[in-house]
Amino acid sequence: MYKHTGSRGSGAPSWVLQRITGLLLVVVVIGHYFVMHANPASGHTYAAVLDRMHQPFWKMFDLTFITVGLWHGLNGTWGIFRDYKMKPAVSLTIYGIIILSGIAFWVLGVNTILSF
Amino acid sequence: MAYQPKPPEGWLKTNLRYYKHSGSWAWILHRITGLGLTAYIFVHIYALTSLTQGPQAFDNEMKLFSTPVFKVLEWLLFSLVLFHAFNGVRIVLVDWASGAKNHKKILTLVYGLGVVLFIGMGVLMFREPLANMFASIR
Repeated sequence: MYKHTGSRGSGAPSWVLQRITGLLLVVVVIGHYFVMHANPASGHTYAAVLDRMHQPFWKMFDLTFITVGLWHGLNGTWGIFRDYKMKPAVSLTIYGIIILSGIAFWVLGVNTILSF
Repeated sequence: MAYQPKPPEGWLKTNLRYYKHSGSWAWILHRITGLGLTAYIFVHIYALTSLTQGPQAFDNEMKLFSTPVFKVLEWLLFSLVLFHAFNGVRIVLVDWASGAKNHKKILTLVYGLGVVLFIGMGVLMFREPLANMFASIR
């Protein structure tokens, strides 16, 4: 039996993926800043946003951003908690909150993107 | 139960007293900014659900987000993005390239580039509103 939930395994896959998604996010964030914030009028008016939302490229861009961003953020959060010794119940609760909130907000974001 | 040495004082006190190198601060800041950005992505995803409620709801929200308070908050958010992104690249360089040899120099670059881009973004964001504010006085 594993005494501490989440401490099983080496954590190497999430360590590697944290770096890969991190590098990907740097690229995506630069694109995001240029598209959304370099020109606020084209970035933030309803018509311009909807126009982008109807293009497959930007749909894929946003889906990638939400998926990779949430995973990177929540994997990092879990990585911080993993550094501390927790009672199994506490660890399981925190892990559950991270997984459930991740799924919930991923669905919320994907729903927004795919409603256009 | 295995033997567990207890710190002489509380957890927080031990951590605060521990001597911190420049790298330790980068590690702490990377975690704090990471948690902040994770919190922000939740807010961001929730805020943009207004897109599905039509142009009125979305435009009202954008009006709120373009008030001075939110502008300043956005600017501060950019500082978290800058530090986390640059220091993240530094971490990758240390882990996967020979960044460990030069990690302190890279850290200087992280802070330097961060401060320059943060100020640059501030100029871009607030040059016009500030000019308008002082135009009436002139």
